[in-house]
Order: sequence, then C-alpha cells, then structure tokens
Amino acid sequence: MPEQAKGTNAQVPALEVQGLIRIFGARKALDGVTFTLPRGAFLSIFGPNGAGKTTLLRVLSTLTPPSQGSGGFKNSGSGARVFGYDVVKDAVELRERIGIISHNPLLYPDLSADENLRFFADLYCINDPQARIDELLEAVELKHRRMDLVRTFSRGMIQRLSIARALLPHPDILFLDEPYSGLDPHAADILDGLIASVRDQYTFVMVSHDLDKGLELCSHALILARGKVVLFEERDDIDREQFRVLYHQTVGLGVS
Amino acid sequence: MPYEDKVLTRKSKADKGSGDRMGSGTVLSSGDKTVPDPILSPDPLSTQRPKISSWRQFKAILRKDIVMELRTKEMITSMGLYALLVLIIYYVALSQAGTNFDVSRISAGLLLLAIVFTSMLGLNRSLVHEQDQGQLDALLLSPIDRPILFLGKAVTNFIFLAIVEVIITPLFYFIFMGNAHTSQMGPLWMVALALLLGSIGIAGVGTLLATMSVNTKGKDFVLAVIFIPLMFPLLLAVVTALNAVILGNPDATTVFWRFAGIAFGYDVITIAIAWALYEFILGV
Repeated sequence: MPEQAKGTNAQVPALEVQGLIRIFGARKALDGVTFTLPRGAFLSIFGPNGAGKTTLLRVLSTLTPPSQGSGGFKNSGSGARVFGYDVVKDAVELRERIGIISHNPLLYPDLSADENLRFFADLYCINDPQARIDELLEAVELKHRRMDLVRTFSRGMIQRLSIARALLPHPDILFLDEPYSGLDPHAADILDGLIASVRDQYTFVMVSHDLDKGLELCSHALILARGKVVLFEERDDIDREQFRVLYHQTVGLGVS
Repeated sequence: MPYEDKVLTRKSKADKGSGDRMGSGTVLSSGDKTVPDPILSPDPLSTQRPKISSWRQFKAILRKDIVMELRTKEMITSMGLYALLVLIIYYVALSQAGTNFDVSRISAGLLLLAIVFTSMLGLNRSLVHEQDQGQLDALLLSPIDRPILFLGKAVTNFIFLAIVEVIITPLFYFIFMGNAHTSQMGPLWMVALALLLGSIGIAGVGTLLATMSVNTKGKDFVLAVIFIPLMFPLLLAVVTALNAVILGNPDATTVFWRFAGIAFGYDVITIAIAWALYEFILGV
C-alpha cells in the first residue's frame, strides 16, 4: 500500500482484517477472521470466554503477531491493517496511533498520576509533555490528585487516569478490552461520559461481555465463537432479540 | 482536508450507527454539529508524529525504575537481606573449618556465589513488577525499539546489583578476610574491575533470561536452571581473575588481565546477542 494511503487518508478503512489466523499450540484462537470496519465506527466484539476476542484485540494492537500473514498483509493475502498500517510490517508506526483502555489499568501503582503520564509521554516522545499532561488531567478531572500515588486511587479514578494515558499520544483508534470490568455503577457512569465525550473523534473497538452496554455504544457488532466470526453487522441491521438468541447460542458453544 | 472537516466527516459516518435508535440511554452524538474537544481528540496532524528519541525512552525507563525502587525499596532491601543471610551461612559453615584454614583461597568463589544468588532475586522481580497490572503490555504498545527496552531494564538491574555489591563486598572482606593472609593482595581497583565485568554480564544475560521466563510457570526455577549454566564461563573467568588479585601470586597481573579479557569478551558477545534477540524473545 502506498505511504499516502495510510494514516489520515479518508479512503482507507479503520480496520481491514482478512483471513486472520492465530494459533496457540494445537488451538486456533483466531480462525480466518475477516471483516472491514469504516472510520469513525464503534465496533463491539462479543463472544464466550476463550472465543478469541482478546486475542483479536491483541493482534490488532500489535501485541500478538498473527500465525499466518507474518510476512505482512500484502505478501500473504491474510492479516490485518489498522488505518492502512499492517499490524506486522508497520507495527512500529502503528503503535504511535493506538490507544488501549483495558480492565487492567496498565499503570504503575507506585508512581503518581503525573509521573505515570510523564513516563508514557517520554516513551511516545510527546512534545511539551507537561502541557499535554496538564490538559489531560484536567479533562479527566484528576488534576487535584496529580501528585498522589496511583495505589491510593479508587477503581474509577484509575480507569479515568487509564483513559488519559490512552489519549496521551493523540491516537487514531481506541481499543477497549472489557473497560467496565470491576467498575461500580458510578465509575461506569463516569466512563460512559468520557467515552461519549470522545465518541465522535475516534474509531473504537471494544471487547465486552455486557450485551446491553456493547449494543448501546456500538455502530457495528461482531460475535466470535471458537475463533470464527459468527456475525458481523451494522447495528441498524440487527434485530436485538435475534442477536441475543444468537449470542446465547454461541456462548453455549464454549471454546474450541 | 481541514481538520474540522475531517472530524465532522468521521462524525457523520459514525452517526449512522450511534445515537438512540435502539433505545440507548446514552446519546452518543446528536444531529447538531459538535466542535471536538482538542484535548481529547486525535492529533490533527497525526501523520506528523513526534520524532522518536531512543535516548529519551531509555532515560524514561531508567528514571521510572529508580523512582519506583527509591519509593518501595523492594528490590534493594530483599537483595541486601538475602546477601546478608548468605554471608551468615558462610560464617556458620567456615567457623567449623579451624583456624589454619585460609579463607582467602576460596573467597573469590564465595563472594561471586553470593552475588549471583542475590542477583537472581532481583532479576526475577525486575520484570514481574511490570506484569502486576499489565504494564508490560503498555510498554510494548509504545513505539519503543525493543533493544532500548532491554538496555533500560539491564542498566537498571546493573545499578541495583552494583548498590548491593558496594554493601556486601566490604562486609565480606571484614567478616572473612580480616585475619586472612591478604598481604600480597593486588590493588582494589582490580577487584572492582573484575566485579564490574561480572555484574555487567549478570545484568545483561539475566535481563534477557528473566524476560524469557517471566511468562512461564515457576519462573524462579526456570530462571535459575537456565541462568547458572549460561553464566558459567563468566563466573569462571571472574573468579579466576579475582583469585589472582586476592592471592597476589607472581603472575597475578598476567592471569588477571587474561581472564578479565575473557569476561569482557563474554559480556560483549552475550549483550550483543541479547540486543539482537530481545524483540524475538518478547514475541512482538
């Protein structure tokens, strides 16, 4: 793919996944996953435990290489591209454009909020890091706790700081790996508000077990079972009751 | 396309699937034009990313690890205490050897043994604390070259090991060699150089092996099983060089430089291999 077709070129879809395979030992965690997601969409990925949801997210975010297509999308005909960047061949460039919010905060509890963001700002070599940190802490309403150690934060505050960390490098796409896991209703409301406030500016990919929440947020839904795509549709085309039935049938399939 | 237009284009695409058509409680985007919050928005010039500086990333890892250690004192305290316990065990064992036993003849081996065992404790911890809350994933998600990550962790491990050595080496000398025949002992800087070469190799190879073992079951056992055999050439070279200095034989200087050279060569080769393999070991 020519260089100019990557990144901000509006013609390039946010995600192009073609015949994606990831094998762990004898088990196929991803088995020929194929779909294309437009820019600005919100994809919710559902499926039973062990269906391959988190593996898919890890492959898309370059944390786990695919088992096929290690030579890149172009050479093998299978693999994944995020905003035109091949998850294998362009991994380094792609990492600058990805933000992840997980049920794991990915923060250091023995550092303060400010020190955590400063560390990641240095890893991303952000210009004028202190200004960026200040504005993000302000945005997630943690400026008053900036010098406090993260281990003293509540779960909701940690998740807000986690969002600030994810947005630090101005990513193009946000991956959310069960971000509501372990949050109390109040913290979940705050997270809802933060996602809503940035919803229009990003492409989102969210892994969730919460059918209602996932459907509420998404523009596209995908059900994975045994590493295969059972359903990938725009939300407008989905009948919620049929979707629920299909989902529960796939949960019954369990893992491969 | 101007940035504002680009965001609005994105928004119009996103509108198709958002909003409250399915009775959602959260209105994600209204029909009105919204002005994106520049703080929370993607970079308007996202093709022009900041220039990545490996030096800045290296310093960030070093600073983070040192600040966390100064705050928790987890590694240095546990390594220091463990080293002290090893010295106590040595003391108990050697107290039965009789007054004619010249400890200086085996002191180099004993000291290095204490250092190697102590280092394994720290090496295990150095990557385990990157896993507690998925921090290793956050590190790997950042645009850092994997060899820079290796260098950062290895230098941190070296610093912590060096601090422990600065404490236990004089302690070792006063406990075991105060009354030994050390009048022929060579200059202290030669002892320091031998320990330095040993510590560089321990930190370099140890960081690589700790990374390999961090995701395995029984990581402590796995590290120990791989670490000691791989370190054997270095340990032999450093012990021989140290022995030459401590015993002060007539050919001490020649022996010292020969084995210091071997230790240096081992350090260079293994660190070069670790540098080249680190990305492969991490798997991303």
